Amino acid sequence: MLHGLSSSPLEMRFLARHLNSEGFTAFAPVLDGYSAGSPERDMQAWVDAAVREFDSLAERYARVSVCGLSVGAALALAVVSKRPTAHAVVLLSVTLSYDGWAIPWYRFLLGWAYYTPLRSRWRYREASPFGLRNEALRAKIARAMQRNGISEVGPSTISLPALREASRLAKRVRASLAGITTDCLIIHAIDDETANPRNAHDVAAKIASPFLRTIYLDDSYHMITSDNEREIVASETAAFLRESEAARGIGSGAESLVVSKALARRLRQLAALGS
Amino acid sequence: MLLSPFLGPAMPGALFCVAAALIEYFFGLGPALTVMLVGLVIADYLFVPPYADFSVFDHSDLMLVVSYPGVTLFIICLIERLRRAQFRAEMFASVSKSRYEMLLRADNKRALRLRTIDETHRLLRHLPHYHDSIILIQALDRKASLRPDADHAAGTAHSLPHTSAPGSRFSAVHPADIARLQNTLSPGSHRLRIRSGDHTYKPVDCVGERFTTHAGDFLVLRIEA
Repeated sequence: MLHGLSSSPLEMRFLARHLNSEGFTAFAPVLDGYSAGSPERDMQAWVDAAVREFDSLAERYARVSVCGLSVGAALALAVVSKRPTAHAVVLLSVTLSYDGWAIPWYRFLLGWAYYTPLRSRWRYREASPFGLRNEALRAKIARAMQRNGISEVGPSTISLPALREASRLAKRVRASLAGITTDCLIIHAIDDETANPRNAHDVAAKIASPFLRTIYLDDSYHMITSDNEREIVASETAAFLRESEAARGIGSGAESLVVSKALARRLRQLAALGS
Repeated sequence: MLLSPFLGPAMPGALFCVAAALIEYFFGLGPALTVMLVGLVIADYLFVPPYADFSVFDHSDLMLVVSYPGVTLFIICLIERLRRAQFRAEMFASVSKSRYEMLLRADNKRALRLRTIDETHRLLRHLPHYHDSIILIQALDRKASLRPDADHAAGTAHSLPHTSAPGSRFSAVHPADIARLQNTLSPGSHRLRIRSGDHTYKPVDCVGERFTTHAGDFLVLRIEA
């Protein structure tokens, strides 16, 4: 489970707990140079660190799936393109470009600001709504941000070099999408204020996964693992991982039976669309 | 240029306006604005007399510069609004589609649960009803049934594997048949030798039934009535 840029594994807490109670082992690493509190490094270092974590998990477990939130989802894609043995990849609010409705139109200037002295001084300041639609939670987060400079849903500021590395990573991931054949679940909120749902749409259109499922939510913003629909996110992630296991003939076969006629019809429709 | 004697300098921007509207309809705001500006320059250069000359700026140039961008921007903005509304509607449609699929999956799960509950009830009614004729109850491992080789490895002749429980008529079955059952127990009818006298065995029709309950799958073998 890879968290968002300059953030902490805390934002995956709810999902991790749910997966754990469903019998999965969830592991959310802190990546040096990527997570909050460590000095920034370039995106190659992020990918290397994530791949190292993947390898150490793959030694201990037979099947390892990668899950990522926001820029972490882009990182997850980079990991599975390097390690095609991964069982499945779950992309939550995948962010390949910052183009949601809360991102100001002059955002492209940041790319140039990197080459000016602003580079080390200016920091992108996270503002309300903090990726949360739930107002009670948003108020709580705003207090935590003021007090500690970091909260469950991310840091209060992101530095310019980190943002630039994120867009470099996104560029590389876009190029490698067509070669990814891992089972893939994409969950995205249509009101995402940081990453437009077009991100999810593009990934779904380009990725070459045989088992691909896209779920759009309409009662959340960017931080779908903490917002109003986190239960749906968690249960659908667990269900997807199980179904992807069943589709490969591992685990209990009886779980994947299709009894409902309506579901069978829908699956036939989807299969007809895919062919 | 060839048509200019017939059309004259009337409505020089009209076709560029249509072009910009089409571009907006198919490609969005940015390209449409570019086409509009380029169109403005071309229209002024080629379609407003004096042709192919920027140096003169008169009343007809002014008319073009005021009217063409005004009309075009108006149309582009309207189409852009519609495009955004359309995008929004498509997003809502995809939300409802994913909700519908989640619903169907949940419904499928519910149907499965319902079926296992029915089966459990059937098993519970079955057990006391046929209590006196049951030979054997075996718990079937779902995973093992996918791997047929695992079944053969289990058990020797007279001892049952720990997944089975003897029924009330178990002791009356011929030992060789029990050994055979270890490997070939399956739903459907079987023919077993049941003790009828002191040392005589008689072939009797038996039936195995499978029950899929929430606790697992069971196979109940009983003498057919």
